[in-house]
Amino acid sequence: MDINEIKSDEILDVKGLSCPMPLLKTKKKLKSMKPGLILEVLGTDPGSKNDIPGFCKKGGNELMAMADDAEGFTRYFIKKG
Amino acid sequence: MSSFIDIFKEQITTADSAVFERKWPSWLAGVFLAVIALLIFLWNVPWGIAGGYRNWGDWILYYLIPGQNRPEITPWLHSLSVTNFGLFAGAMASAMMSRQFKIRPAPPIEYIKGIIGGILMGAGAALAGGCNVGGFYTAVGIFSMGGYTMMIGLGIGAFIGLKLLLWEMEYLPQKTKAVKVPASDKKSFDWTLIQRIFGAFIFIAGIAAFYIYASVGKTQIGGLMFFGLLIGLVMHRSRFCFVRAFREPFMTGDSEMVRAVALSLIIYGCGSAVIKWTYIQPPDMGVFHPFWFGSLIGGLIFGIGMLLAGGCASSTLWRSGEGHTKLVTTLITFAVTNSASQSLLNATGLKEMLGKGQFMPDIISWQFTMPLFILILMSWIMLADWNEKTEKLVIF
Repeated sequence: MDINEIKSDEILDVKGLSCPMPLLKTKKKLKSMKPGLILEVLGTDPGSKNDIPGFCKKGGNELMAMADDAEGFTRYFIKKG
Repeated sequence: MSSFIDIFKEQITTADSAVFERKWPSWLAGVFLAVIALLIFLWNVPWGIAGGYRNWGDWILYYLIPGQNRPEITPWLHSLSVTNFGLFAGAMASAMMSRQFKIRPAPPIEYIKGIIGGILMGAGAALAGGCNVGGFYTAVGIFSMGGYTMMIGLGIGAFIGLKLLLWEMEYLPQKTKAVKVPASDKKSFDWTLIQRIFGAFIFIAGIAAFYIYASVGKTQIGGLMFFGLLIGLVMHRSRFCFVRAFREPFMTGDSEMVRAVALSLIIYGCGSAVIKWTYIQPPDMGVFHPFWFGSLIGGLIFGIGMLLAGGCASSTLWRSGEGHTKLVTTLITFAVTNSASQSLLNATGLKEMLGKGQFMPDIISWQFTMPLFILILMSWIMLADWNEKTEKLVIF
């Protein structure tokens, strides 16, 4: 899926934060969202590349896409399940 | 001939991607760590990290505060300090080879958490007679009773620490946008290749250091540098994290790291039983963890600290090697506080009141120690797996 076609409903910026804060904030944000809505997370911690997919898989949320941005961070698109 | 070279090139590329691109599975890292820890035990002493931090702290305090006694051992001859150097260098080299090294700034509040976390871990490790490695992993693995009480303390501390992080998210202003992420490097200049060459250079320098140590009659110390290098590589590539083993059951319910740590401990413990039962090393070697009060309360304080810092003694080192500036501040406050707390405990005589080292086989014999040891670790895995399915312990 082309990430530029995904329209996110909410954006969570966790750039500069390291483990466990990115995952903690992602979980908190997702809790406040309705199922089906899409959250875009912007992060820089290398650990998130394993943490966020693993969390989505386990927690019943769908990781639609993740991609490194040219500006030095990674974008994650999560559909709340 | 060209086909031979082509195949060779392909093999190198495949190996490179397996080692430096794909994340290593946690359980495999656990097996590697157990083997390296056993080699360290056979080679010299049971593995620890805080002891090395303490040595660094001794030296920092010696230069900061005039009129103190000069520390006895220099950092490049102190066994645990040298293992730490190796671990740091190995993680940094691994991060560079994996194209993941970057100076990583953090928002101001993260530095404050890092400093407080370091102080708590430094004090906790002093009370428990070791950090998450020396006081918990190694202690349990060499059948020192204090390891189990520290484990309980770490669990309670992680619970409290997670509560603090949740409180922080709820009530403290969140200004993560203030951090400027350095823009990626100019396309005209391939920085990643330079970084990889530099990483390889660090690996080679680390191995060269072993030969230099050996050439001046310090083979044992040099070997520790080499083992540290390997641990740094394993921990960075697998993102091995003891904090996760204690935090995730309350945070996401994930039990992967509990299984990895417990499996690693079972292997390490069986190996150390062979070493101790046969008197290859003295049975009571390394058994000094204050059972039970010191290790319990120390574990609790350490547990809170590792949650705030986002790294324990070992992951603070390897994450510093990856360029996380927050954890560099943690490392410094950990070292200084640990050194100061140790001196304080010794000077006031409080150390005697914390408890003393108890060797499990001395109390219940080897015959009962081994099944009990395995039973405890298996129960930990089963509890974590049950919690992963039911999320009964997840507080958030």
